[in-house]
Amino acid sequence: MGKKFLRFEFLLLFAVFIIATCGLIYELVAGTLASYLLGDSVKQFSFIIGVYLFSMGIGSFFSKFFHKNLLNTFVEIEILVGLIGGLSSVVLFLLFESVGSFQFILYLFVFVTGFLVGLEIPLLMNILKDRVEFKDLVSNVFTFDYIGALLASILFPLVLVPKLGIMGTSLFFGMINVSIAIVLCFLLKRELKKVYFLKMKAIFSFVLLLGVFVFSNDILAYSEGKLYGENIIYTNSTPYQRIVLTHNKSDYRLYLNNNLQFSSADEYRYHEALVHPVMSMAKSVKHILVLGGGDGLAVREILKYKDVEKVTLVDLDEGMTKLFKTNTVLTNFNQNSLNNPKVTVINTDAYIWAKSCKEKYDVAIIDFPDPSNYSLGKLYSLNFYQTIKTILQPDAAVVIQTTSPYFAPKSFWCINKTVMQVFPQVDAYHAYVPSFGEWGYTIAINGFGTTFNSVNRKADKLKFYNYQFDRFNYFTNDMISNQVEINRLDNQILVRYFDEEWGKLQ
Amino acid sequence: MIRLSGTKHLLGHRLWIKDFPKPTKQIEIPYLIVGGGISGLSAARQFQKKGISDFLVVELENHLGGNSSNGENKYSKYPLGAHYLPLPNFQDKELLQFLEEEKIILGYNEKGFPIFDELQLTFAPDERLFYKNNWQEGVVPKEGNLISDDLEFEKFFKQMDVFRSGKGEDQKYLFDIPIYLSSKDEKTRALDKITMKQWFQNNHFTSEPLFNYIDYCCKDDFGLGIEYVSAWAGIHYFAGRKQDSTPEKHDSVLTWAEGNARLATHLKKYTEDKSLKNHLVYEVKIENNKVIAKAFDDATNTSLEIIADKVIMASPQFVNQYLIKDRKAFTKDFHYTPWLLATLVVNDLSENYSFPLSWDNVIYDAKGLGYVYDQHQTVNQVQDKKVITYYYSFSSGDLKKTRKELYKKDKEYWKQFVLNDLKIAHPDIEEYTEDIEVFLLGHGMISPAPGFIFGEAKKQAKQNIQKKIYFAHTDLSGISIFEEAFHQGINVVNEILDGTTVDS
Repeated sequence: MGKKFLRFEFLLLFAVFIIATCGLIYELVAGTLASYLLGDSVKQFSFIIGVYLFSMGIGSFFSKFFHKNLLNTFVEIEILVGLIGGLSSVVLFLLFESVGSFQFILYLFVFVTGFLVGLEIPLLMNILKDRVEFKDLVSNVFTFDYIGALLASILFPLVLVPKLGIMGTSLFFGMINVSIAIVLCFLLKRELKKVYFLKMKAIFSFVLLLGVFVFSNDILAYSEGKLYGENIIYTNSTPYQRIVLTHNKSDYRLYLNNNLQFSSADEYRYHEALVHPVMSMAKSVKHILVLGGGDGLAVREILKYKDVEKVTLVDLDEGMTKLFKTNTVLTNFNQNSLNNPKVTVINTDAYIWAKSCKEKYDVAIIDFPDPSNYSLGKLYSLNFYQTIKTILQPDAAVVIQTTSPYFAPKSFWCINKTVMQVFPQVDAYHAYVPSFGEWGYTIAINGFGTTFNSVNRKADKLKFYNYQFDRFNYFTNDMISNQVEINRLDNQILVRYFDEEWGKLQ
Repeated sequence: MIRLSGTKHLLGHRLWIKDFPKPTKQIEIPYLIVGGGISGLSAARQFQKKGISDFLVVELENHLGGNSSNGENKYSKYPLGAHYLPLPNFQDKELLQFLEEEKIILGYNEKGFPIFDELQLTFAPDERLFYKNNWQEGVVPKEGNLISDDLEFEKFFKQMDVFRSGKGEDQKYLFDIPIYLSSKDEKTRALDKITMKQWFQNNHFTSEPLFNYIDYCCKDDFGLGIEYVSAWAGIHYFAGRKQDSTPEKHDSVLTWAEGNARLATHLKKYTEDKSLKNHLVYEVKIENNKVIAKAFDDATNTSLEIIADKVIMASPQFVNQYLIKDRKAFTKDFHYTPWLLATLVVNDLSENYSFPLSWDNVIYDAKGLGYVYDQHQTVNQVQDKKVITYYYSFSSGDLKKTRKELYKKDKEYWKQFVLNDLKIAHPDIEEYTEDIEVFLLGHGMISPAPGFIFGEAKKQAKQNIQKKIYFAHTDLSGISIFEEAFHQGINVVNEILDGTTVDS
């Protein structure tokens, strides 16, 4: 009898140890995930720990309402904690997309996990109270509890996250949680009631977690994490492109088809340089056209001018503009610009749209992906710029993102030369954007009524652009190429230049 | 889904027995044009240019355009025949003029070169070849050749350059477009007596990729391959186009989703309210100093009689022999290659990323001539579905026999035939194909077999009859290209009005 009792007590204390470890792991996972996805890690960790401990307290309080079948309840909770805690990170990752209620869901998870873990310790003490001396019981339970906590907090940053990733870790500990329940089912089959039923539940939960573990670990946490060397917090494949958002320290990066679109740390340089020169030079800025730029960051800059009455943004990809209208992290970046009542978003092919457009614009900001294939190359052709000219007011200003004059000087000057065939005044300028390198733009004025050095209006509080255009249009010799042809639909020479120049670097 | 259609061969074949009802109606018109292909439409244009508008065009099909016709589905227009026009020779002022009128040429630059509309020149990338399991740029086999192959290609193209710029003692180009402008140089004309294959061997060429390439080119323009086509015609393919109307990129072509139906549409405006479609002309004869043409209306099952002062037979000679007496003897020397076109709607075209989808996609050593990507001339970024048109010419030594077999096979047979040929480059095309339309042209185009271009038959067929019945068709040039038809139409009107004739 003594030997058997020892085993019973030992088993349950071991369970306490595991529960404590797992509980803390879930808490750390939630904290890490929150700071990955939402930024501000001190705040996130602090809130999560607070909510977790508080919900443990609630759980402890409610434990007194359990009277019957305590051991069964204990095993059931064990399974439930494993399942919920284990799947928490996967669910949170997937739900980040519909991020409107993301924080609510995050804290709900933290609360439920904390509540269940909080239930368990008092429940266990109740089970053992008639079998063990009270002072032994209290000291043993809490000893194992705190040892487990220490183990978890050491293992988590040093071994678990680097080896398994966030998702893998929570799923792995979910499985450990559930396997304890399975072990208890087998060893305590005489003490438990309806043990067959419990066993089935436990095994089913284990298999579910294992399945998700194998699947998710491969696809999300591992492969893309390795590809980007950063933490992937969001991915979405639209019919047109694969959108990937990553987060590292304080920097968010958006990739479209694996090409960096912006880094939150320095995108203000790129977008200020893109938007403010044309906005200050144009005769009027009532009606602004943006082609591409579905991230709304250029629109954010445009809206800094009070004279702007209407902004029309044409971007092919509805998935992209929708994301930047709804995701709270991303609407923080663009200051909710795409939801501004002045802004109209049109999801269609810009070239086709421009051909049938009846309106005329004061400023056109053309921010397409680099001409890396023949389809995109059409958007840099002579005919395209001729088409754009037909929808511009006299003296309208146009700016075109024109890839890097340092990495791809032929491509850069090819676009510039092509634009020169269409507009009476054309210039080029560049800005240093650390995450991109030296980046360039072609700028043009549809008439002679204003000049590149005119500053007809200014926006306040710019961090980068100072309205001295002549500081930006000087090019050193290593950024110049003279021997270039005009890019036309029938030669698409730009795609060849681009391939040759960027191909060298890859 | 699969559909099989083609030119109205069943109605056409009633010319053999002529079981048509007696005419119940009469029309009088000074000028009648029989046939609404490019030759007939060009003649209509020329009449209008000369201030004459009292003419009538009668056409068997339900639309004008002939070989320059097109189809259309939910996703794109597509050609049902000829689908491009190479940049015209700079000397061909009439063609340049037409292209300028239709805003295909937008003007001339300071050096005097025409400025072609960017949207109507083939977009890049224009051509690719599936060769040795990879797509490569251009249709000339390059990557994977032996050094000896490359040397032969180089030698061949040099010879073609010589032919292209070469002139005879009469100061005329050895090879020109239209063909009648070419030099009478005996030695050059003798090339019409042998096949292109004989010329290839006589010049000690042995390279297989070169042989295949020339074979492809001959079929592309004439329907007949290297083994059956006249060497003069074969060389003309390379040497006739002077590539002198742009300062750069010499071998560009003009193209449209609907192919040359675009050009036919431009010409059609000259025939507004002056055309009679769905009418088969079954008899043309001279009576009392007038020409009487009888035509059968398939829709109402009635016939009518058209009384004209002059008639232009812009119809092919294989038809004319049943309409006008005493033409069978020389018509037997006219051979026409059947063609098959198949337009496929595909969800996807599996690519191995070696060279991207182009306008013209040729598969080395395939039976057909590859396929054209019909949406290539759109400025869109993406297409929901892709529409491609596959081309196949029935090159053979006995075209009559081939034609008979053609109509015996069912649509399932042709579908598999097309898919199997495309599978060389796109192994899974069958799963991705949503719709396929097979279009058969029994008499696709005139075939310049040896001896035909400079032969007697053509010369006789071209002769007008009592200055009443005149003839204009590409089969009277010997090769079926837009430029020939265009000039056939112009020249025949000039001949009627001014009495001028051109050499054949």
